[in-house]
Amino acid sequence: MRKGLLAAAAVLAVSLALREDDFALLLLTRVLIVILACLGLNVQFGYAGVVNFAGATFFGVGGYTAAVLARSTAVPHLFILLIGGAAAALAGTILVVPVLRTRGHYAALVTIAFALLFRTFFEVNDALGGPQGLKLPELRIGPVHFNDAIEIGSFFASFYLKYIVLSLLLAALGFAFVLRLERSFIGVALDCIRLDEIAAASFGVDVARWKIVAFTLGNFLIGLAGALSAFMVGFIAPDNYSFGESLIFVSILLLGGLGNPWGLSLASAVVLLLPEKLQVIAEYRFLLFAAVVILILLFRPAGLLPRPLRRLT
Amino acid sequence: MSALLRCRDLSRAFGGLLALEGLDLDVEEGGVLGLIGPNGSGKTTFFNVLTGFFPATRGEVLFAGEPITGLSPQVVYRKGVARTFQRSRLCLPLSIFDNLLIGNHKHLDHRLWSNLVDRRALRRQIEQTFAEARELVRIFDPPLADRLLEPASRIPMIDRRRIEVCRALISRPRLLLLDEPSAGMTQEETMRLMDDILQVKSRLGGLTIILIEHEMTVIERVTERCVVLNYGRKIAEGAYAEIARTPSVREAYLGLE
Amino acid sequence: MSIIAQYVMNGAMLGMMYALVAVGFTLFFGVLDVIQFAHGDVLAAGAFAALAVWLGLTRLGVASPALLLALVVVAATVATALLGAAVARFLVLPLKGAPQLNVLLVTLMMGTVLRESIRLFYPGGSQPQLFPALLPTSSVALGEFNLRIDNVILLAAGTVLIAGTSLLVTRTRLGLAIRAVAQDEETARTMGVDFRRIVLLTFALGSALAAFAGVMDGLYYNEIFFGMGLLLGVIGFAAAIIGGLGNLYGAILGGFFFAALQTIGAVALPFASAYKDVFAFGVVIALMALRPKGLIGERTSERV
Ligand SMILES: Nc1ncnc2c1ncn2[C@@H]1O[C@H](COP(=O)(O)OP(=O)(O)OP(=O)(O)O)[C@@H](O)[C@H]1O
Ligand SMILES: [Mg+2]
Repeated sequence: MRKGLLAAAAVLAVSLALREDDFALLLLTRVLIVILACLGLNVQFGYAGVVNFAGATFFGVGGYTAAVLARSTAVPHLFILLIGGAAAALAGTILVVPVLRTRGHYAALVTIAFALLFRTFFEVNDALGGPQGLKLPELRIGPVHFNDAIEIGSFFASFYLKYIVLSLLLAALGFAFVLRLERSFIGVALDCIRLDEIAAASFGVDVARWKIVAFTLGNFLIGLAGALSAFMVGFIAPDNYSFGESLIFVSILLLGGLGNPWGLSLASAVVLLLPEKLQVIAEYRFLLFAAVVILILLFRPAGLLPRPLRRLT
Repeated sequence: MSALLRCRDLSRAFGGLLALEGLDLDVEEGGVLGLIGPNGSGKTTFFNVLTGFFPATRGEVLFAGEPITGLSPQVVYRKGVARTFQRSRLCLPLSIFDNLLIGNHKHLDHRLWSNLVDRRALRRQIEQTFAEARELVRIFDPPLADRLLEPASRIPMIDRRRIEVCRALISRPRLLLLDEPSAGMTQEETMRLMDDILQVKSRLGGLTIILIEHEMTVIERVTERCVVLNYGRKIAEGAYAEIARTPSVREAYLGLE
Repeated sequence: MSIIAQYVMNGAMLGMMYALVAVGFTLFFGVLDVIQFAHGDVLAAGAFAALAVWLGLTRLGVASPALLLALVVVAATVATALLGAAVARFLVLPLKGAPQLNVLLVTLMMGTVLRESIRLFYPGGSQPQLFPALLPTSSVALGEFNLRIDNVILLAAGTVLIAGTSLLVTRTRLGLAIRAVAQDEETARTMGVDFRRIVLLTFALGSALAAFAGVMDGLYYNEIFFGMGLLLGVIGFAAAIIGGLGNLYGAILGGFFFAALQTIGAVALPFASAYKDVFAFGVVIALMALRPKGLIGERTSERV
């Protein structure tokens, strides 16, 4: 708890210091959004052991839902963000039966097939803008217009500061949720399901139910992050939701240390900021991530920040 | 008559292989039944059918007078049947205490609200289970009781087997199924483990045990009655001293020793 | 009539490619119980190796089409066989005993490395590359339908390869060793089979089949592209799973089954043939829900 507040305060302080630097703030917002999405993936993959190679797809479902609703309805945008999450969770129910009934490679195939299916679907569906995608209107929550710069007296800040505050808030909530989940009986049950379904079942753990809960909650977080991201970028297109992007999400999880929310936060920052800071490697980033993840899997499978043992007492 | 467990014509086939064939079996409440037989004779299969992992192809199981045939493993556990596995199935990356929490699953509150929002009941249950866990583990291995927060991967094999037994006991089941709990232990260690289990049994009062065991001295000492399986069929039943004299048993089983 | 023949021909070509890829997946799974997900990108690397060799040879003035074709196929085969064996040696074998999914991930990432390497380091690799027509381009008119000779040759060659592989696996000493390892590693070891060698050979063999699928793809579409392996890999994987991982004939059937799905999708949704992949993958997902271990089913059953 204290660590979390400290981290949030640090992010705020940094953003205030960089308040006039649009690009830096944009990057920071993206990191926070990706953290939120990876928290969701962590619940699925890191705790319940439900593989999901369609992270970017659920991110996209949230984004497209937000785009369609914001363009053609008067639903308040705060609700649209939540509906984005709900839509991703709902889309996940298509996969519930095959994901529950399959394991290992088979479950991986199901989500990969789903990712490719949806990618094609976004691309060929004219109502969703086809390959060109869709534009989104400005995000408004109550009286706050998110695309106006902040000017209060002599204080001036980029409009991205508002996005930072919003995404920090959501990421913090997501963080608190995931940490509490881990330190609960549900967390113990999910771990047991991941490690040994047969042992879990013989001690009364309702394997199917908890997998569904984890998968759905995870997709909600991913979809929520996707909706927020769509508003911030102001524009969505199928290319942003490719299988490669899903792999990046999974890489972040592994890089950070499966099951450790702090690890995935660190990894999100590294993965998103490093290529921007070192322009030379930007072109090679997919290559580099892939190589780094290979090395991690071979030599440090627990990741940069291995998940610590749970302490309930 | 109060048979806690009653099986009638219980059968299970894998393809053409009859792993369990027409088993009739009664276990008295509070008794200790030994289940023996050569490798592949269907002992583990019997446990798996009983606990709902494999549906029976024929026959029926009554537990405390209620049919439990065809129920899922989860439901069978909730009714009061707990088991250990022939091959260790602890969650090694988790702490010992986490593993014991899994064993106590049916007494813990798993609602989202009390796990995520209002966690007072959760904390109380954690403390209570922790106290119970320490007390239980202390019976088996006193120093281990102070190491419950260490990862299960860090303790030696023998202690892992003990923790597996504790995991099955902590929910205070009515029927305990032990599938070769002593695998990998010396004879003395096995004896100690069984004595500890019997101590817990006398504390709980009314615990019923079915023990699969290859070590005949153990069977002789702790069981009141034995059932011998061979190729999925019951070939003998009675006190160990009796069955040890039965020719078909000697041929099928003891002869192989 | 001719339009149907056209669809059937196209479906057969696709099915042959998918089957060749799926056989690789199933062989790898057979010996090591792993998914080698870089397989599709190994295929792409093979196709690009073929193209590079063709460019080099034509610069050197080699003009005989037969010689060119032979050398190109050999180059692709050698490239993929080496790559496949290297993946097994440096990525898959070291992870023996680790969770199955780690192998899937590591090879998935290896696929990205290969794919990105082609894009970044092959001259012009980020754009689709023209693939030369190395086969006769004439065709035979059957009524209204033009049967292209090159397609017939490709289908025949693919059939021969698959039949050869199946003979190799069922009839030769090497095949016996492969099957022994697939059955049970320990027993195979005690029988004196050199486990590592068999694994490497199997990976080389399976990958070599992908080389042919890659060249076939290039010849059929007249172009190759750095990302071509991803979709082919996923489809091959899906086909192998539909056919029951580890089952050679199942993989072949799975390949043609997937091609049939795509063809049916394209025929049944003429107004939106772009949805054919959506349809095909949708069916695969539904199939997994109905038969979680594939249509034919994996050979192992779970022990408690
Ligand atoms: N899941 C399964 N699928 C197919 N056959 C099985 C399965 N489980 C057990 N069998 C077969 O059923 C028979 C009985 O096996 P079981 O494990 O019950 O024997 P056991 O008496 O426990 O032997 P051991 O003393 O070696 O533990 C064996 O022939 C075994 O191969
Ligand atoms: Mg057994």
